[in-house]
Amino acid sequence: MKELQALLQRELDERVGEQNISLECRTNRKGVTTAWCRLKRIEDLLPCAQMVKALSGRLSTITASSREHARESGTHELAYHFDLDGDTLTVSLLLPLGAEVDSLTPLFRNADWNEREFMELYDIKIRGCLNPKRLFLDESIAPGVLDRLIPFSALVNAASTKTLWERILANREEGQ
Amino acid sequence: MTTTYKLPVGPLHVALEEPMYFKIDVQGETIAGLDITAGHVHRGIEYLTMNRNFIQNITLLERVCSLCSNSHPTTFCMALEQIAGIDIPPRAEFLRVIADETKRVSSNLFNVAILAHIVGFDTLFMHVMETREIMQDVKETIFGNRMDLAANCIGGVRFDLDTERKSYLGAQIDRVIPLVGKIHKLYLTDRTILSRARGVGVLSKSDALELALVGPVARGSGVEYDVRKKAPYAAYDQLDFEVVTGSDGDVWSRALVRIQEAEVALDLLRQCLQKMPEGPICASLLPEVPAGEAIAKSEAPRGELIYYLRTNGSDRPARLKWRVPSYMNWSALPLMMKGNKIGDIPMIVNSIDPCISCTER
Repeated sequence: MKELQALLQRELDERVGEQNISLECRTNRKGVTTAWCRLKRIEDLLPCAQMVKALSGRLSTITASSREHARESGTHELAYHFDLDGDTLTVSLLLPLGAEVDSLTPLFRNADWNEREFMELYDIKIRGCLNPKRLFLDESIAPGVLDRLIPFSALVNAASTKTLWERILANREEGQ
Repeated sequence: MTTTYKLPVGPLHVALEEPMYFKIDVQGETIAGLDITAGHVHRGIEYLTMNRNFIQNITLLERVCSLCSNSHPTTFCMALEQIAGIDIPPRAEFLRVIADETKRVSSNLFNVAILAHIVGFDTLFMHVMETREIMQDVKETIFGNRMDLAANCIGGVRFDLDTERKSYLGAQIDRVIPLVGKIHKLYLTDRTILSRARGVGVLSKSDALELALVGPVARGSGVEYDVRKKAPYAAYDQLDFEVVTGSDGDVWSRALVRIQEAEVALDLLRQCLQKMPEGPICASLLPEVPAGEAIAKSEAPRGELIYYLRTNGSDRPARLKWRVPSYMNWSALPLMMKGNKIGDIPMIVNSIDPCISCTER
């Protein structure tokens, strides 16, 4: 772990600047390390991704925070998970609602589906996306549709009745 | 004169009995390009997990997919155990391997059986499925179910093998190994399989790396990445096995990797029966799960499965995200198909062993 942590710390200091990141590494009893890097600036994502590319890393997946979290906090939290020969580096950042984040598709082609999913399900704006067409939903449905529609699970799950009616009433108020 | 036209395939197709939509550009009989449209059965399960407690989620996640159903709850439990600081008992580590590898044998045999069906070799299809049926019986006997094993709990497993069941499992492994050996030989030498699968749907190693492919699809192109070796979990670090790779990157190479991985899985099962220590199968009472975040990875039958879990001190996930191997492997299809014939489409699609159920989480 110490070697990976030292390597990442050195590389990130050079590319992003020590003052703009926080890095933490944890290694489990099988010797597998997970590294957690938090970026203070959105523009540092690309240099981080370039570092991973230079280290022969791979983009595993990207996580966006839940819609509720985004609404409450006014920011989307994005976590980019990279594989470094079995170890995992997670680079996370806060993206204010409406702001753009750089596309990683020029560096990692498999970012394509992840980013298209974000644009579609979370209405996150991606700058420089090479293939910005819809992935999961029909073209006739507007962006961020899951923010506005009632999910089927909420509609049919009796346990969610309260949530459902709260949503309907809130929507009605918004409409007025 | 060559005319290019679009050929819609799906969402329901005989070789792909799950909804996914393709647009294929063809020039005469030759494939020029491919576009994939997903989303027909997106179920929003990630959202559902945030409305259920950790224990309920084990059951829910087992239903993301049937063929790799055990990989989802296993990986979720691994992530949760990291946050809760739980080390599962040594016996449970081996039992988790037994559940996973039993599923792998069945899943891989199913895929190569379908290949035989697509090329019209239905006696081979039935022979492989008959062999697979032994492993289905194993699952039913040990776990009480043929697909969803309900093997996992937070801190370990929910099943154990007494002397009688160990002996039964050992006997079934001994039955299956020579049968899979014969299947392996058939896929290596049979003219029907070779003439249809060799040199078809080729994917280079550099493309596999560029697209971040995983599992037998990547290994069939020579990418030597297997989570069980690169990021060991459960008891894999105590077991002796080699990562299987192919070099041709074609439909045949991917099928051979799957057959060999079924053989490795059977060997791992045998090793587990020999090396599994006595002891508890689950950690004691579930401690309070603190706020935290964790990454867990496992090698599902189709490749790397990764889970990201965030907790906030409650008994429900604050965020749970997973990425299945099929998610990237779809993107290989346009490269694999270009220049091949329309008649090869079902075989190439089958060769990535796509899981729409997983993709449409």
